[in-house]
Amino acid sequence: MKRFLKLYRIEQKLALRSGDMLIFGVAMPVGIMILINMIAGSKQATEGFTYLQSSFASLIAVGICAAAFMGIPLTIAEYRDKKILKHFFATPCSPLWILGSDVLCAGVTALLSALSVAFVSIVFLGYEMRGNALAFMGSWLLTLVSMFSIGLLMASLCRTIKSVNAVTTLVYFPMLFLSGATIPYELFPSGLQKLADVLPLTQGIKLMKAVSMGAALENVWEIVVLLLGITAICTGISVKTFRWE
Amino acid sequence: MSTCIEVKDLTKSFNGRTVADKISFRVEKGEVFGLLGHNGAGKSTIIDLLLGLKKPDYGSGTIFGLDPSANRKAVFKRVGVQLQSSNYQNNIRVDELCREMSALHEKCEDYHKLIKFFSLEKLEKSKVNKLSGGERQRLSVALALINNPEIVFLDELTTGLDAAARREVWGHLKDLKKKGTTIFLTTHYMEEAESLCDRIFLIKDGRKVTEGTVKSIIESSPYENLEEAYLWYMGEEVAQ
Repeated sequence: MKRFLKLYRIEQKLALRSGDMLIFGVAMPVGIMILINMIAGSKQATEGFTYLQSSFASLIAVGICAAAFMGIPLTIAEYRDKKILKHFFATPCSPLWILGSDVLCAGVTALLSALSVAFVSIVFLGYEMRGNALAFMGSWLLTLVSMFSIGLLMASLCRTIKSVNAVTTLVYFPMLFLSGATIPYELFPSGLQKLADVLPLTQGIKLMKAVSMGAALENVWEIVVLLLGITAICTGISVKTFRWE
Repeated sequence: MSTCIEVKDLTKSFNGRTVADKISFRVEKGEVFGLLGHNGAGKSTIIDLLLGLKKPDYGSGTIFGLDPSANRKAVFKRVGVQLQSSNYQNNIRVDELCREMSALHEKCEDYHKLIKFFSLEKLEKSKVNKLSGGERQRLSVALALINNPEIVFLDELTTGLDAAARREVWGHLKDLKKKGTTIFLTTHYMEEAESLCDRIFLIKDGRKVTEGTVKSIIESSPYENLEEAYLWYMGEEVAQ
């Protein structure tokens, strides 16, 4: 455990040093939130809820989106492409250590993002969660784990940095803009909403949003089962198809 | 002496091209064994197959009597590897890379001693991607030794280095040999093989050409130095 933490600390330092995740995962959602507050202020988005209350959960999902669909696949694919994973292979450590430390780094980025959004919204913008905070943390964790499993799958299936860059672009941007993470889902025309519903992150955001607003969600268990299923299938395939080179 | 590496009929093909064709050899404990051949002859593939990084189509390779692909942990506790590629993470510093590689092994040398041995102590806080080719190669060798291995694999360790840097690395390897470390190296520099190796194994297009001591290989050819003998074995014209 001590050796794993040593490995993790260095990988985390490198992740912070590169700065990408701090920009896309932390600064971006906080910036969007401030912008929403400047534009909408205390205006009602839906009955009884301000724009901030309505978009709080979505903005927290931006950090998950960046860590899962950029952080994890880009790091692992780069390590594979540069043969850094091959260096790791020629040691007695378990391959799970390498993957585990990078997943943990991504998790810390997502957590840092969530805490930043929560801190700024509560301390400076007067946000109050109507729903149960513990249940919200549970829904955040479930969304995080399921999205990370998709990121791991991307890392396993894409063999080169070129292919992972292409797949990241194809996955990250639609998830960011169509899932409701940055643009409210409710503003989409019904055709676009149907398309957005296909995206796994949309389901995670719907769950987190309903929990944070204390609203009833008819198909809550369907979403939970779907996210658990995604986690099991994607993790299974990514472990099966993972290659050092 | 006892055998620590044994390779039997190792065979591998990629896209219909045979890159290792029934390769067999043994390496004894404490010796410096050189695998020689042109670029693309199959040297790195043989190392990959032997270390379990690639699966052979046929044949086997064992280290300390163990199959590395099935006993990765046990083998790599006692083996150090310097791969041909010396790319590392973006922005990682020398000391961080040493600490990271130490974390991957159970028992390690003090990396400060190693980087001093390889004259890198002043570069401890430098970013690895800012090091010169020679400094990076010395760091790669240092990292291969971080677990104080009984066998170290060095794949093309001096490629891209100037003559002075090559000789500096050779000096370090001779010190290692004196300590009793078994060294398995690949090279296409005959001067390197002549200076370091107890025995050499020549391959061409994945096939064995000959093996023996540097002296026996020269004596079996019509030439008086390894460079010319090597070209003769490879079926190439030797300039007079």
